[in-house]
Amino acid sequence: MNKLSFLFLLTFFSILFTGCQNDEADFPSSDNPTVVVSTNEIYGAPNRKFEIKATLADDLGLKNVRIQIPELNLDKVINFATDPLLTSYNLSYFFEVPANRGTSEAFVIKLTITDVSGNAIDQNINLRLDGEFSAPAISMITPKEGAVILLSSSNKLPVNFIVNDDSGIDYVQVKCAALGIDEMVQLTGAPQSYTFNKTYTLPVTAAEYVLTITAKDKFAIPNLGTLNINLVATNEYPAIYLCDQPKGTNLTTDAVGVPMYFHEKVGQDFEFKYYADTDNKQIYFLGQEADFAPHCFGLNASGNLVDDVTSSAIVLPTKGYYKIKVNPSTLVYTVTKYTPTSKVWADVANGLWHDNEALRRPFVSIAGGGIQGANWDTWNAWVQTSLHLANNPNNPYQLVGEYTLTGTMEGTFTGQWWSPSWRLIKNGIATMSPGENGNAKYPAAPGVYKVILDTELERAFITKK
Amino acid sequence: MKYKFIGLLIAVLCSAATFAQITVKGTVKDKAAVPIPGVNVFVKGTQTSVSTDFDGKYAIVVPSKEAQLEFSFMGFVTQTIKVDQKTVVDIVLSDNNQTLDEVVVVGYATVKKKDVTSSIASVKGKELQTMTVGNVTESLQGKVAGVQITGAGGPGAQPRVLIRGISTVNLSTDPLYVVDGIPMGTSINFLSNNEIESMDVLKDASASAIYGSRASNGVILITTKKGKAGKTKFTVDMSTGYQIMNKPYDMANAENYANILNTAYTNSGYSEYLPNAAQYRGKTTDWWGAGINRNSSVTNASIGVSGGSEKNTYAISLNYYDSDSFYDIGGWKRVTARIANDFKFTDKFSAGITLNPRYETWGSPSNWADFVKIDPITPIYKPADQLNGTENEYSIYARSPSYVWNPVAAVKRYDDYTNLYNLNSNAYLQYEPIKGLIVRTQGSVEFGNKIWNKFSPDFVIDAAHEKAEINSVERKATTNVDWTWQSTATYSKTFAEKHNASFMAGVTMENYDSSDVWGYGEGVPNNSESMREVSAATKNRNSSGTSWSSSILSYISRLSYNFDSKYYLTASFRRDGSSKFMANNKWANFPAASASWRISNEDFMANTTSTINNLTFRAGWGRVGNQNLPASVYQSNIGQGYYVIDGNVVDTSYPSTMANKDIRWEIVEDVNFGLDFGLWKNKISGTLEYYQKTTKDMLFVKQFPTYSGFPSYATIWTNVGSMRSNGIDLLLSYKDKKGDFSYGADLTFTTVNVKMVSLSTDGEKLYGSSNRTLTVQGEEPGYFYGYVADGLFQNQTELNSHTDEHGTKMQPYAQVGDVRFKDVNGDGKLDDKDRTKIGSPWADYNVGLNLNFAYKNFDLVANFYSSIGNDLVNQNISDLYNGASLTNKVSGLDQMAWHGEGTSNYIPRLSKDDNNENFTKFSSLYVEDGSFVRMKNLQLGYSLYNKFGFDKLRISLSGQNLWTWTKYSGVDPEVGGGVLGSGFGGWNYPVQPTILMGLNVAF
Repeated sequence: MNKLSFLFLLTFFSILFTGCQNDEADFPSSDNPTVVVSTNEIYGAPNRKFEIKATLADDLGLKNVRIQIPELNLDKVINFATDPLLTSYNLSYFFEVPANRGTSEAFVIKLTITDVSGNAIDQNINLRLDGEFSAPAISMITPKEGAVILLSSSNKLPVNFIVNDDSGIDYVQVKCAALGIDEMVQLTGAPQSYTFNKTYTLPVTAAEYVLTITAKDKFAIPNLGTLNINLVATNEYPAIYLCDQPKGTNLTTDAVGVPMYFHEKVGQDFEFKYYADTDNKQIYFLGQEADFAPHCFGLNASGNLVDDVTSSAIVLPTKGYYKIKVNPSTLVYTVTKYTPTSKVWADVANGLWHDNEALRRPFVSIAGGGIQGANWDTWNAWVQTSLHLANNPNNPYQLVGEYTLTGTMEGTFTGQWWSPSWRLIKNGIATMSPGENGNAKYPAAPGVYKVILDTELERAFITKK
Repeated sequence: MKYKFIGLLIAVLCSAATFAQITVKGTVKDKAAVPIPGVNVFVKGTQTSVSTDFDGKYAIVVPSKEAQLEFSFMGFVTQTIKVDQKTVVDIVLSDNNQTLDEVVVVGYATVKKKDVTSSIASVKGKELQTMTVGNVTESLQGKVAGVQITGAGGPGAQPRVLIRGISTVNLSTDPLYVVDGIPMGTSINFLSNNEIESMDVLKDASASAIYGSRASNGVILITTKKGKAGKTKFTVDMSTGYQIMNKPYDMANAENYANILNTAYTNSGYSEYLPNAAQYRGKTTDWWGAGINRNSSVTNASIGVSGGSEKNTYAISLNYYDSDSFYDIGGWKRVTARIANDFKFTDKFSAGITLNPRYETWGSPSNWADFVKIDPITPIYKPADQLNGTENEYSIYARSPSYVWNPVAAVKRYDDYTNLYNLNSNAYLQYEPIKGLIVRTQGSVEFGNKIWNKFSPDFVIDAAHEKAEINSVERKATTNVDWTWQSTATYSKTFAEKHNASFMAGVTMENYDSSDVWGYGEGVPNNSESMREVSAATKNRNSSGTSWSSSILSYISRLSYNFDSKYYLTASFRRDGSSKFMANNKWANFPAASASWRISNEDFMANTTSTINNLTFRAGWGRVGNQNLPASVYQSNIGQGYYVIDGNVVDTSYPSTMANKDIRWEIVEDVNFGLDFGLWKNKISGTLEYYQKTTKDMLFVKQFPTYSGFPSYATIWTNVGSMRSNGIDLLLSYKDKKGDFSYGADLTFTTVNVKMVSLSTDGEKLYGSSNRTLTVQGEEPGYFYGYVADGLFQNQTELNSHTDEHGTKMQPYAQVGDVRFKDVNGDGKLDDKDRTKIGSPWADYNVGLNLNFAYKNFDLVANFYSSIGNDLVNQNISDLYNGASLTNKVSGLDQMAWHGEGTSNYIPRLSKDDNNENFTKFSSLYVEDGSFVRMKNLQLGYSLYNKFGFDKLRISLSGQNLWTWTKYSGVDPEVGGGVLGSGFGGWNYPVQPTILMGLNVAF
């Protein structure tokens, strides 16, 4: 239709319909709508969502429902389709209480339900912000997640944890079906803290167990807290870690690589390759990844290797690369310094993106997720110069940088179009492609991290700055 | 005795000559008895001519009483008078309102305007020469109904010319330019507007079908100036002035910049980026002033000489155009000469030759936006304490943390220029063996050589971000040799007095050969001018070279007939064979037919002749094609890529494109209906036309089906889909004269509506311009496609209510002050399905208004052009309003952006992170009304006749693009682009206001 015709028709119909009061379809009169709320009192809390549930109905058809909490800046209208008419609706609306509200505050939620005939009814629901929604906090003392129990030393399993809850604890339960443990402790008086401490006996056969600890609080709407602890009962260590951090260091704040997973394992002979970045570097061997206890291998006063959390560190005298062998059963270790012979990738680091192709220089960057500025596109890795790694001036086998992690991360260190590339698989292993498939996901708290890619060790270390 | 005889003979001859010569005087006036100055009075058969003075008087010596005097002047009907016994010949010239007698070029022929049966618009060279432009189509803007011209700024830039909208999606939309009968491709930058006698635009297919496979975008026929019999005339035409580059935005000073970024950082939860902003007060770096000149010169000059006898006429001109860029370096220079000679050996045999040598040189930086965007705190040069004395001259500049490369340094490094040398020769022979039969053969040869040189010096402004560790040099030379040859025979005959017929048949051949060679090298020992040669490179030498050619062979014919100048019929047929097409479809036929009825010549209109001078109805149909194809349409290509196989980088080859043996050219069919009218002695005249164009067999690039065995990235061109457009062209002219005051106005009005009729599959979506435009069946092509920005969240209540029916936030990262995107489909989610049409790059209509006034010796010309109803994407707001980048922002952005309820409903709050994607989501936030009205030209002239020894002396003062009305807030509302990416305004070089002084001399 050309524009003149359109304008003519527009004018014609404008005149034709002048005087119409309402273009909307008319509906016959009907009864008021009805509302049945699931509760007249809703518990909420600052920075937490609550749910408004109600069943709305109308004999002819619902038009809309308006939800208002003026004090919390909520004024939501949900309009319903009128073709076909909707005669009933299950309202389920979630709203998050702003973080700056006080827990002693209370409000009225006003629901206004209107039907297509124009009938409207109101329904008020009380909202209290003194709700308690935190599950009881379970603080594990022993065993820690991933704990290794060396049956040759002891077959006892001490279980020790503390439960805390503001509204009081109703009961605590410890379960492990494989060990036949199902122990419930019903507490009286709803204490806000309770310590569980009991030792169980393990079978002498090696196995893996999951210990489930559950705690329930006494709030009007009870909250349940659960913690699963994975255990390994073994006659041999499945893994040994090399730790160069001082005792007492929290070993779970890193994203990748601390303590360092072994390189080779034959029986109980574990071999590490390690770079000491300073003279007199102090190291320990750990039987577990997350903690110095229960198995920490260091030197006793006689200079012999012992499994003792009070032992002294092994000292590597000079800076450089080492091959370190340790057997946690025989408590024998050797330390040998060596000079790497692998390819030095310094020539591809310090890359430069440039619009002019002739001026571009190779680079090593990262493609992955959970890293600010990164995605799985190598082109992005190319142009995002902030992701490029630089040479460590003190070690040509290390490429270093800083990344901001936004959460659980995964990645592959990559040059131009994946050549070269180092895929970050589990345990901090970053083997140069082609290597093992798959990328491991590493949980990480958001923040800025130091990144070291050691191409000789084929390991990545990503530690909180 | 012998000496006496000789003396007597000389005396007799002298006396005879003296006795034969007669001095004729007189006055030339118009019908209102107003003297006409500057009328050319010419003694036919001689080279004697004079011009009338300001009072219209003349005096001329004629050889005998048999002599004939010819009086001619633009706008008046030429008169020829035999002297006889008269010594005083006063003449009254009639206004040439009978424009219907003007000649129009129709392709391989000329016809009188009244005999035209199809849609052809004509513009005189004189009208085009009122403006000083590098590309003459810039001057055509608004002067022809149905032609939409989008200006382009910058030296040597080429405007976008659309004749009756678009008829293709994937191919070029440029019309075909034909100069003196020779097809010259789709660019006309080579031609000076001073060389042009007239321009004829073939708008519909019934007119342009004679150019067959290249005519789907219309054809523009250009006739260059030729000599006229008479005394030798010299002309000097010169205009010079300056182009004005206004800073497009008022940018923040250093302190304001710091405040803006600090606000963006703190709004996002960071500490201030530049604490204590007051410390930057008075420390603003004037980047713009350091690199951009407010004024840049432009000059257009021609000198010409023309004249001749009845046997030989000539016209020689030398033309010079020079437009500087607004940087200290760069621009565009063009020097052309045109040497035209026409010979009439006998009444039956004539010939002509035109030589057109040309030299052009161009090159200019293009980083002017960086002068706006770079932060105002960074100094231009590194502080002295950061220099160690070993830097080269390109490394002394400071690096901006805004990631904008130092623009002053970039201009300093710039060395990227092209030189072009070209010679075009065009000659014809014409023979009329019997009355009415004209046999003509015409050939042209063009030699061209284009040399591109580029040198990139080494520099280190910042070792990590802004450097070139090694210099490089490249040179590319492209050579072309093209020739055309066309021969026609035309027979015209009038039967029984009222039956007028003409038949033309001919054959044309065209061949285009080109080749190039490229050399590259790095590591030239130093950056000095003398070392900038590929041979001086010490590293990474590289070279390439290729050649390409195409040819076309055509058979053409046209039959014209009219009965008693009332009923007209024209039919044409062209058969094209092109090297670009595979054997299965090597040839195509392009027929056309048109008819007209001159109603005003009917007997029953006899009583209306005082009112209606002309009333003609026309109708036409034709078929044309578009063969502007990329080479991959008819060539199979092997692509190259590097892949890692077994850990090794392997150089691989794969079939990237496959020739389609069944490929055909895009075919456009159109119908055209027109009404020409002239009222009250043609004081009011005009043309109203309606057309409809349908494109079939459109060319799209498609992937192979998986079962074909080709990889998914291998493509093939296929003929699928169609589109249709229609519209109205209106030209309305008025002119009159009251005593010494004459005035006139031309109004042009153009509408275009275009829709995709079908695509290759039902429901297919063609995305363009990074998925920001969409083309679907039933809609116009290339409309803006994105989210609807529904204002800003003014308060927490508005933000809280933007949820689905369960309270799930549709924009979970939004904060008050961010953009609210509309849930278009109402599904409670904000996702790709909520993108919709948010604007159209195509104008509802274009209007041109051309006014001219003259009072005694003064004349005034004013040209206006407007585009109404189109939208533009203002991409610059992402730079100017977005706190996420470190580039400079508009002044006062911290107060312009939302900073509290009611403070803004357009510019979102400043944010370092832009988590709500206010700027990264393509939305209607970017779309603005692109309508504009622009005063293209305003020229005031003053003319003197027969003064100071000159026939004519005219001085003028003009201003181009001085005034523009638009709501568009971007750099310039004239924004071009391809069909699927039209209307994206950014940091495009603006069409600049220009002030000019002009001088025209004839003697």
